[in-house]
Amino acid sequence: MSSPRHLANRRSLLAGLGAAAVGISFSACSKPAEKAATDGAEEPKLNFYNWDTYIGETTLADFKTATGIDVNMQLFATNDELFAKLKAGNSGFDVIVPSNEFVTRMGQAGLLKALDHAKVPNMKNIDPQYLNPSFDPGNKFSVPYTWLVLGLGYRKSKFKTVPDSWKYVFDSAEYKGKIALLSESADLIRLAAKYKGVSLNNISPEMLTQIEAMLVKQKPNIRAFHEDNGQDMLQGGDVDIVIEYNGDIAQVMAEDDDIGFVVPKEGSLLNSDTLCVPVDAPRPNNAHAFINYILDARVGAEIYKTILYPSPNAAAKALMPEDYKNNPVIFPPADILAKCEYGAFEGAEKASQFEEIITRVRAS
Amino acid sequence: MEQSWRQAKSIFGLLLSAPLFWLAFFFIVPMGIVWLYSFGENRGLVDIAFTGTWKNYARALEPLYLGIFVKSLYVAALTTFLCLVVGFPVALAITFAADKWKPWLLLLIMLPFWTNLLIRTYALIAVLRTEGYVNQTYEFLWTNAGGLMTLVGLAPLGEFQPLDLLHNNFAVIFGLVYVHLPFMILPLYSTLDRMDRSLLEASLDLGAGHFRTLWSIVVPMSAAGIASGILITFIPALGAYLTPDLLGGPESQMIANVIERQFKRANDWPFGAALSFLLVYLTFIGIAIQGMLDKQNRGRAA
Amino acid sequence: MTQSVAKVKKTPPGPLEYMRRWPMQAWLVGVTVFLYAPLITLMIFSFNDSKRNIVWQGFTLKYYVKALTNESLIQAFTNSLVIAFFSTIISVVVGAMAAILLWRFRFPGKTALDGAMSIPIVVPEICMGVGMLVFFAKVFPWPQGMIWPLNLGAIIIAHVSFSFPFVAVVVRARLASFNRELEEAAKDLGASEVRTLLDVLVPHIKPSLLAGGLLAFTLSLDDFVITFFTAGPDTVTFPVKVYSMVRFSVTPEVNAASTILIVVTVILTFFALKFQGSDALTAGHGAADKK
Repeated sequence: MSSPRHLANRRSLLAGLGAAAVGISFSACSKPAEKAATDGAEEPKLNFYNWDTYIGETTLADFKTATGIDVNMQLFATNDELFAKLKAGNSGFDVIVPSNEFVTRMGQAGLLKALDHAKVPNMKNIDPQYLNPSFDPGNKFSVPYTWLVLGLGYRKSKFKTVPDSWKYVFDSAEYKGKIALLSESADLIRLAAKYKGVSLNNISPEMLTQIEAMLVKQKPNIRAFHEDNGQDMLQGGDVDIVIEYNGDIAQVMAEDDDIGFVVPKEGSLLNSDTLCVPVDAPRPNNAHAFINYILDARVGAEIYKTILYPSPNAAAKALMPEDYKNNPVIFPPADILAKCEYGAFEGAEKASQFEEIITRVRAS
Repeated sequence: MEQSWRQAKSIFGLLLSAPLFWLAFFFIVPMGIVWLYSFGENRGLVDIAFTGTWKNYARALEPLYLGIFVKSLYVAALTTFLCLVVGFPVALAITFAADKWKPWLLLLIMLPFWTNLLIRTYALIAVLRTEGYVNQTYEFLWTNAGGLMTLVGLAPLGEFQPLDLLHNNFAVIFGLVYVHLPFMILPLYSTLDRMDRSLLEASLDLGAGHFRTLWSIVVPMSAAGIASGILITFIPALGAYLTPDLLGGPESQMIANVIERQFKRANDWPFGAALSFLLVYLTFIGIAIQGMLDKQNRGRAA
Repeated sequence: MTQSVAKVKKTPPGPLEYMRRWPMQAWLVGVTVFLYAPLITLMIFSFNDSKRNIVWQGFTLKYYVKALTNESLIQAFTNSLVIAFFSTIISVVVGAMAAILLWRFRFPGKTALDGAMSIPIVVPEICMGVGMLVFFAKVFPWPQGMIWPLNLGAIIIAHVSFSFPFVAVVVRARLASFNRELEEAAKDLGASEVRTLLDVLVPHIKPSLLAGGLLAFTLSLDDFVITFFTAGPDTVTFPVKVYSMVRFSVTPEVNAASTILIVVTVILTFFALKFQGSDALTAGHGAADKK
C-alpha cells in the first residue's frame, strides 16, 4: 500500500537523518530557515498547509512532474488553528493559506516572510482589482488564491420571496426555530452591523451594544449557532435559513434543487484566502516556485474547476466554462458585491471584545 | 496497611522513578508554562509577558463566566449520574457473564469508541435530527397508528410533529452520555469483577431480594470502582466542548467552549489559561479535602 | 422479580447468572442499540453516492476506493495505530507503577503527587495542547525530519502524559481489593520484593491493566486537540486528518475510512485476544478465589 511517493519520502528522510541529528537543539529558537535560504540548495520537498478540498485533483502530482518537488499537503480547518500553530514557531510548513484578516495579523506578528515578487512572475495573471488589497498593501506577504462571500442559504419552498435581507435571521420571528447563525463571533457581529446599515469595520461601542441587544432578543428564535456546517443543517431540513459561504451552499445546490443562495441587499462580508510563506519556512525557494506554479493560467483553471470557488486569477478564469463564469452563486451580482467589504484586523483587544459579546449572548 | 517508604527503599525508588520523571518533565513543565501564562498579558500578537497580574483571574470570576461554570458543573454531574445508572448494570452483566464471553462483551462496549469522536458526533446528528432515524421511525408509527384508528372508526391523530431532539440541552446530555459511557463501565467492571461472590450468594440464600443485595452488598463493595468511574467521567465531561458545539442549541455553551475560544479565536491565551486553571484549583481543593478525611479516618483507626 | 420468567426456562438460571435474566438482557440490548445505532448509520452512509451524509442518493463503493487510494489518509491511519500502540504500552507500565506506589507507600509529598497526577485528567484538552505546543516548540524541540516512526515521538510523549493517570485510576481501584497477606506470604517464602511484585501483585491487577490499556488505547486513538498541537507536517494522525477534512461537512469518504478503521481494529483485537487467550481478562478467578 505504500506508494512510490511514500517510499521516496522515507528514503529522503533516512538520508537526511544525519542532518537532522545535528538539528537536535535545545535552544529556544533554532532557525533552520536561514540556513536553508543561504545555501540555496533545498531538498526537493515542500510542506503545504491547506484547507480541505482546496486544490486541483492532479495539481500536486503535476507540480512534481514539472519540478521534481514532492509536495506533502496537510490540512487545517480554521484560521485560528493555523495562527495558534504558527505562533509557537517551528511549524515546518513552507506554504500556508490564511484568510485576509489573518494575513494582516500574521504579518504584524512577524510570522510571514516577505515575498520575493521576482520569483513569482505569474502574479501578472491576477485580476488587478484583487491586487494590492487593504489587508496586505502591495501584496507584501500574500498572493490571492480564492475569495468568498457570506450570504443566506435558504429552502426555496418555505419562502414566498427571496430572503434578500439580513432581517430574516437577525431581527424577525417569522422563521422561529428554523434559523441557524454561524458561531464565528467577529463575522456574526460584522454581518449584524451590515444589517444595521453601518460599515463592518470600526463598529462603534454604541452600535456594539445595540447589536448585542438585538442578538439577545433574537436568540429564542434561533435553532443553533453552527460550526460552518450550516449547509448540512439546511439540506437535512433542520433549518430553513442559514448564514453560510457561497461556495458551501453552491455544493449542496448541486444536489438539492430546493436550496437557494442570496447575498442580502445590505451587503456582506468578503473573505479572501491567500498563499503565504511562513517566516521560518524551511524551503522558501520551493515555496515561491510552488506559488508561481499555482498562479499559472492552465494550472489555476484546473484547480478552480475542482473547487468551484471564485477565482481572482483572470487568466485562469478566461479558460473556465461558461457555467462557472456565469454562476450567480459563485459570482454574485456586481451591484451587491460593491456593498460588500473585507473585515480588517482591528487589534487583539477588539477580537477579545467580539468574543465576549457572543459569550454573553449565548449565556443570556 | 500502607507501608512507609523507608521500609522498602529500593522498590519505592523503582516505582517512583518512571511516573515522577514523566510527570515532572513531560507534564509539569509544559503545564507550568501555561500556568505562568495565566499571570501574563498579551504583548502584541505573539508574545506574552509574565507580569504577575491577577487580572485574568479577576475576569474569570466575573458572574458571566461563573454562571457558565456552574452550568457546566451541573451538566457534567447529570451526565455522570446517567452514565452510572446506564453503565452499572452493564458492568454487572459483564462480570457475571461466562468467562469466555467477557473479552467480547468488553470489546462490544469499547468498539464504538475507536471511531473518531467527531465522526461519531456527526453520526449522532444523523440519528437525532428533524428528519433523522428516530423521527422517521416515530413518523412511521404515527402514520400507521393514525391509519389504524381511522380503520376502527376513531378520529385520526392529527398532523405529525417531529420531535425536537437536536440543538438543545437534551441533545448535549444525550451526546455526553454516549461519549463517556465506557469511562464509567471500565472501572466499574474492573472492581466488580473482583467481588467475592460468596457474599452475594449468602445474601440471596438468606432471603434478601436481588435489589436489596445489589444495594447493600454490591454497591458498597464496588465503592472504589464507582468513585474512580465518577472521577474519570465527570472531569472529562466537564471539559467537553465538541458535543455542546455540534449538538447544542444557542444556549448550550459549556466552560470548555469558552476556554477553547480564548485559545483560538480570541487569541487570549492568558485568559484561557486562567479559566483552565480554575478547574485545576478546584480539583486540588477536592483532593486536599479527601486527603484530610483520609488522615482523620486513619487517626480514628489507630 | 424474575421468578416467573425463570420458571419457563428448562434449567432455571442460578442466583448469580444475571446474564440469563431478561431485564438484564433487555438492558444490554438497549445499551447496545444506543451505542451502535449511530455507528451503523455511519457505515451505511459510507456507501452513499453523494458528496455528503444527509440524503441517500444510491449505492456506491467509490468512497472505499477513494479512501484506500488516499495515501495521506493511509499514512495517518498507520501513524494513529502506531502511536496508540506505543502510548498504550508506556501508559500501562507507568500508570501501574504510579498506582502501586500510591497504594502501597506512605511518603512525604504523597498528596502532592496524587494531586499532580490528577491534573492531566482535569486540565481542558486545549490548555494541555497549547502547553505541549509551546513545550515542543521552545523547550524540547523534537527534531523534524526524523525517520518514521521516531518522528512520532513527540505525539507519543504527549499521549502518555494524558493517558497514564487514567490507567493509574483504574488500577488503583482494583488494588483496593488486594489481600496484602498474600504478598507477605510470598516474602516469607523468600521471594524478593521485585519477584513478589511481579508474581503476586501483577497477576492480581491484570484485568485492570487490560481495562486501563483499553482506555489508554481509546484515548490515544481518539485524541484530536492535543495531537493537533504536537503534530508536524509529517506526523498527521487519523483524527487530525479527519477534523480537517470535515470543514465542508463529513463526506462518505471519511465514513468509509472510519469503517475501515473499525474493521482493522476489530481484526487486530480479535487476534490479540485469540493469541493471548481470553484468560487475560479473567485471570484472578482461579481456584484460590472461588474458595
